[in-house]
Amino acid sequence: MAKTVSRRGALRAGAGVLAAGTLGAPMVHAQGSAGNLRIAFWDHWVPGGNDALKELGETWGRQNRVNVSLDFINTTGNQLQLTAAAQAQSRSGHDAISLTPWDPGAYADQLEPVDDVIQRLVAKYGPINEVAEFLAKRQGAWRGIPATSGTQNKPACVRWDLFQQHAGIDIRAMWPAKAERGPGADNWTWETFLKAAEACQKAGFAFGLPMGQFTDAVDWVGALFNSYGARMTNEKGEPTIRNNDKLRQAVDYAVRLSRFLPNDVWAWDDASNNRALISGRSALIFNPPSAWAVAKRDAPDVAEKCWYAPMPAGPEGRFNAYLPYTTGIWSFSRNKNAAKSFLEFISQRDSAEAITNKSSGYDIPPFATMTDFKIWETVGPPEGFQFNYPVKPHHQSKQSIAFSPAPPELAQQMYIQGMNTKLIARIAQGGESMDAALGWAEREINNMRRGL
Amino acid sequence: MSASAAANRDLPSIYHKAGSLRAERRWALWSAYISLIFAAIIMLAPPVYMLMTSLKTSAEIADQLNSTPWWVYSPTLENYAALIGNEMFRGFFWNSVKVTVLVVAVTMVISVLAAFALGRMRFWGSQALATGVFLTYLIPDTLLFIPLYQIVGSLGLLNSAWGLVLVYPTLTVPFCTWIMIGYFASIPKELDEAALIDGANWMQMLWKIFIPVALPGIIAATIFAFTVSWAAFVYPTAFITTPEEMPMTIGVVSQLIRGDTFAWGQLMAGALLAALPPVIVYAFLMDYYIAGLTAGATKG
Amino acid sequence: MADGATLAIAQQGAPSGSSLKRFARRRSTIAFVMTLPLLLVIGGLVAWPAGYAIWLSMLNRRMNTFIGLGNFEILLDSETFRMVIFQSVFFAVTAVILKALIGFWLAHMLHHIPTKGQRKWRGMLLVPWVIPPALSTLGWWWMFDPSYSSINWLLNVFAVPSVPWLGEPWWARISVIIVNVWYGAPFFMIMYLAALKSVPEQLYEAAAIDGASSWQRLRYVTLPMMRNIISITVLFSLIVTFANYDIVRVLTNGGPRDLTHVFASYAFQVGILAGNIPRGAAVSLFMFPILAVIAFFVLRGINRRNKEEM
Repeated sequence: MAKTVSRRGALRAGAGVLAAGTLGAPMVHAQGSAGNLRIAFWDHWVPGGNDALKELGETWGRQNRVNVSLDFINTTGNQLQLTAAAQAQSRSGHDAISLTPWDPGAYADQLEPVDDVIQRLVAKYGPINEVAEFLAKRQGAWRGIPATSGTQNKPACVRWDLFQQHAGIDIRAMWPAKAERGPGADNWTWETFLKAAEACQKAGFAFGLPMGQFTDAVDWVGALFNSYGARMTNEKGEPTIRNNDKLRQAVDYAVRLSRFLPNDVWAWDDASNNRALISGRSALIFNPPSAWAVAKRDAPDVAEKCWYAPMPAGPEGRFNAYLPYTTGIWSFSRNKNAAKSFLEFISQRDSAEAITNKSSGYDIPPFATMTDFKIWETVGPPEGFQFNYPVKPHHQSKQSIAFSPAPPELAQQMYIQGMNTKLIARIAQGGESMDAALGWAEREINNMRRGL
Repeated sequence: MSASAAANRDLPSIYHKAGSLRAERRWALWSAYISLIFAAIIMLAPPVYMLMTSLKTSAEIADQLNSTPWWVYSPTLENYAALIGNEMFRGFFWNSVKVTVLVVAVTMVISVLAAFALGRMRFWGSQALATGVFLTYLIPDTLLFIPLYQIVGSLGLLNSAWGLVLVYPTLTVPFCTWIMIGYFASIPKELDEAALIDGANWMQMLWKIFIPVALPGIIAATIFAFTVSWAAFVYPTAFITTPEEMPMTIGVVSQLIRGDTFAWGQLMAGALLAALPPVIVYAFLMDYYIAGLTAGATKG
Repeated sequence: MADGATLAIAQQGAPSGSSLKRFARRRSTIAFVMTLPLLLVIGGLVAWPAGYAIWLSMLNRRMNTFIGLGNFEILLDSETFRMVIFQSVFFAVTAVILKALIGFWLAHMLHHIPTKGQRKWRGMLLVPWVIPPALSTLGWWWMFDPSYSSINWLLNVFAVPSVPWLGEPWWARISVIIVNVWYGAPFFMIMYLAALKSVPEQLYEAAAIDGASSWQRLRYVTLPMMRNIISITVLFSLIVTFANYDIVRVLTNGGPRDLTHVFASYAFQVGILAGNIPRGAAVSLFMFPILAVIAFFVLRGINRRNKEEM
């Protein structure tokens, strides 16, 4: 990856973007005799990110004499979600499929329980993080195996030069590329963050934080809300909005912060923040390293000045915006055992590390014991900038998913409709009062709950 | 005009009027050209900009300081080369061609037969049906995709180009039938009288007399069906999710937008390549199309 | 329109009563058989799914309980959906009016220039309509991009500040309308141009002799002659614009704050993405009565005028 970007290099990289999208040409092995296995995985956003799974599929298929064919389906335009919906509807299709955060719950009664696999994995590698468990364990059983490929964190990708110059914070000293907290790390809170946002905005490098209805926006605002202990519903899905001071506090903070953001963040999609960083106009975004990877190709001098820091902490602790995928096995699959065994194989530490390596460190395994892969220390330039991309123990941080602990049918709707960002937008952009906006949110949630 | 010019000779006030008429004409011509130039700039700006972007390298697109959006400093064809050399993209193209050809064929058979029956032969309810055909559009694809999603799913045709061949005729058949009814209605009735006296049956009459005479209308309807099935977006978005079965429109929109990292040069090149077949068809057959399109409306 | 043919046949078969009847029966049987494929397409793929949509819209999310008009009631209770109704109507009506005016203006201008050059201009102005809208909208999207907007670049050249095209609700609404008008205006232009050409030249000459100003000629000659084609075009365009999906889907996906959602995009979000198929069906059914009412009045107007002319 570390070669100078020439015209030809750019061409190759450009072609790579497409090549990554090519369907993993179904890999058929002549010696396969123990049946066929078709799995749909998330199509990776990092060029070449699918290669590890393809190789693992080939190896495992050869060893177990199974014809493995892997399809990679994009989430742009919700293709992957639509595929899952179509297969659930027609009860046919792949044997197993990557599911977006809330889908294991939504399709729980059509997914094969995989508790036996999870038990073996947990015995080996320790517990799976709480959010992944919350999402995948539904109706008393694990409905899928939390995936490595595609699962991403969205901590702060900081332009350390601009941050130093305009906000006066040396982020590389605060969060160095080793397992320790540097000077000022204890003060890395949302209030500090707000001052930095203001300073950078005044200097013309406003933070690129989306506030639309795409996952990047919903996820980081979800983490912000969680760090204020602000919940929109309880476990039963009943709105907990009235007289909720924590929620008010979080919303109030977000509204204050949004004054220092570009004025069109309300319509940003998952790519807008990346473009803001790559164009050199932004000092900070919350994103996995795909933005950096493109910058490395198109704007190398920007890429060299990126550095990862955990998300800031709030009154209730530090929460990291997390987008986990779960691989579920359809109950109508005809080869459930093969699917289970293959998914167990790709969840092993070696496999997970291979997957993360191929994605330049993008993918995050669900086990806390797997946050120490070498790749995060070595990938660059600048070397070590990804050290703090996975959640490390010294961050004192938890994973977060927006709208937990709502029941999945409801949470899925709130997630897709971006209830948290819309709530903020109604106040900050629409000029509504806090009470009016909260009233709207409560009515809207009650409305979603009806006729379920 | 000649009449008024003749009347001018001995009436000064009218003569004056004619002078101002000429000035008015010149003014009208100027304002016409100015409006047209202005409109052409706006109408052509997006495709031109797409072309410019498609000729740039990713680095030039990302570089805002030393380049301008509307011009290419170091043009390159690598975006096009990457697409044309890409198997998946060629697959989109063939899917579009396959679906479009089949849909056009099916559409033309259905609508020519129906239009002939509705326009030239009368039976119980035919008139109501002729009006009703147009009203089919009151139920657009955006209303039908949810129930059709279930129906297509239960037939096992989700994620299959055959599913598209099945549902696209709902977009094309009503309008084509409507155009063809207008066309058949405009053919003089003496023709079928003559044919009936010669003892021809209805199919022979349609095949030997009406189809040749209505050929311009048939071409217009064919172009319409082609355009609609080439550009269809709602149904493939809802029914097709695997890239191997995707047609052009949805393929470019969903596969070239790579998550949160865009290759704008390739995206624009893909959009332009996908737009090329209709543009070519129109460049050659525009007059037929316009004639056919307006025939239905002016005669209806 | 079918009357001519029927009359001719009736005269033809007159001599013998029974053979006429047999002939008529055979003819209508053949005609019916020829119409059958059309009936199958419309019945099987339009009418039946539409009926099925109505049934679906009365079920709960899991599709196991009949809840009558519950979904409609829930939707009407939701502020978001009431806003979607407003936006759909605003979008469709504004876009159609603008398309009609711009199309009329361009057709008029084209009609004024010498016939020789018309083809070339017509070809250029028709380009937006030829490119599949889902693809040309991608180009617009890239032109509206917050970081790389080429329109803002031009505005900045003329010292006009950048516009948050898709970020600020009203600008986003305007952007969606701009793209729709850009795409649809050429269609109006072509239809009107054909209509303008069918207005007999003598009418204008007569008006000129009467000393009518160009405005009066437009008002009293051109417009009345074009009324039917204007109504039909507006109706057709209104139906298509109400059903628009691709522009909103590509450009804003409904944002910011759902303020640019139209029926179709909202139905897609609720029905397929959020997995509530019945409620999605209810959303898309909403536009049907609106369209049906408009179509009824427009078609009645056309029929009346046709009768007056006779």
